[in-house]
Amino acid sequence: MYRIIEKSRQGSTSQFLIRLEDNAGIPFDNANTDYQEYLEWLAEGNEPEVINGDSPYA
Amino acid sequence: MSRARDLADLAGSADAGGITGKNLIINGAMQVAQRGTVTGATHDSYGGPDRYKISESGDTVFTMSKDSDTPTGKGFANSLKLDVTTADSSLAASDYASVIYNIEGQDLQRIKKGTSSAESVTLSFYIKSTITGTYVVQLYDNDNNRSVSKSYTVSSADTWEKKTLTFPADTTGAFDNDNALSLLIRWWFAAGTDYTSGTLATSWESYNGANAAVGQVNAVNSASNNIFITGVQLELGEQATPFEHRSYGDELARCQRYFQKLYSDAAYGYPSLFVSIATAATQSYGVAQFITPMRAAPTFSTTGNFRLTDQNIAVAITSFTLDSGRSGVLSGEFNIQTASGLTALQTYFVHNNNDTSAALLFSAEL
Repeated sequence: MYRIIEKSRQGSTSQFLIRLEDNAGIPFDNANTDYQEYLEWLAEGNEPEVINGDSPYA
Repeated sequence: MSRARDLADLAGSADAGGITGKNLIINGAMQVAQRGTVTGATHDSYGGPDRYKISESGDTVFTMSKDSDTPTGKGFANSLKLDVTTADSSLAASDYASVIYNIEGQDLQRIKKGTSSAESVTLSFYIKSTITGTYVVQLYDNDNNRSVSKSYTVSSADTWEKKTLTFPADTTGAFDNDNALSLLIRWWFAAGTDYTSGTLATSWESYNGANAAVGQVNAVNSASNNIFITGVQLELGEQATPFEHRSYGDELARCQRYFQKLYSDAAYGYPSLFVSIATAATQSYGVAQFITPMRAAPTFSTTGNFRLTDQNIAVAITSFTLDSGRSGVLSGEFNIQTASGLTALQTYFVHNNNDTSAALLFSAEL
């Protein structure tokens, strides 16, 4: 399971992708194997929890 | 011998990578262990010496550590120790236990795999294992789903033995010239019938699990078992040449392409890791520069407790979060949360919070 936290910053939105099983932060990089697993998880029809707010765990 | 002959031999040795850089393995002498001892190691766990990962299915659990038990008189000070803490004494068909080492395709081009000039490679290493019998090492080509395996014998229990395995050239399937996984080396320690029911693939072939580990003894059948490995070298050709020893600093830098551990060293009074700028009473942003460029933008995690300080205050950090879109191979940006106490636009130092276990962990492993 994954969570995406969205924060407004410098006129845009920053996204923080977190793997919930270990709270690891995952970058949006196709060469990162954890991001590859996330993309596979998405392709299986899953969706991350998306949270808006200033607190990462709000 | 003539000087001309010496020079010709030297040139030949250089062509074969014989002077330096011949060993395709990083941390073959098991000097670098940034993660320290890891207990409860199961599938995909890293621990002990950098770059070596557990791959298993079934009941087996290891403790992975960097150990000082080494073969006598060979110039090694460290080994990878795999201590079986939970055994798999009755293997189901799909059960297996192994340790793997992954290599990027761009570092393998010298093998010329998939061409008419493809080269054989030789793997040499020292092993000490409680269980005697037949063991298997497998090379797996992740780009082309091809595999080759070689068996060897551990003759004496709990005794260091050197093993040399030569794998044939493969004129089919080139390694991609990129930073992704191309070659996986797997040291098998146990294998169920899914991996042993065929004929050992001693020549390269399309991967067939049944041919991967035929004859492999169960080396994880008791929680009393230990397996040690060191002196790992993979080189071109059919001969195992003397191990290419590298300095600790050289090996550390190579390992840090795949994993980095940043921490405020207690021995130096917890110097700051980087500076952050507050945007609110509970929030700041900071950028961590990596020690060396990483293979890919790394996955980020933390251990222990951190704090922000300036000349007046010290505030505990409640969370570090990686900005997924603002992180690369050279640096990562973070959102840093505190319960309160920050002043907007004020800069703060990021430190361990008097916690020797606190560290920022960056992983770009294959």
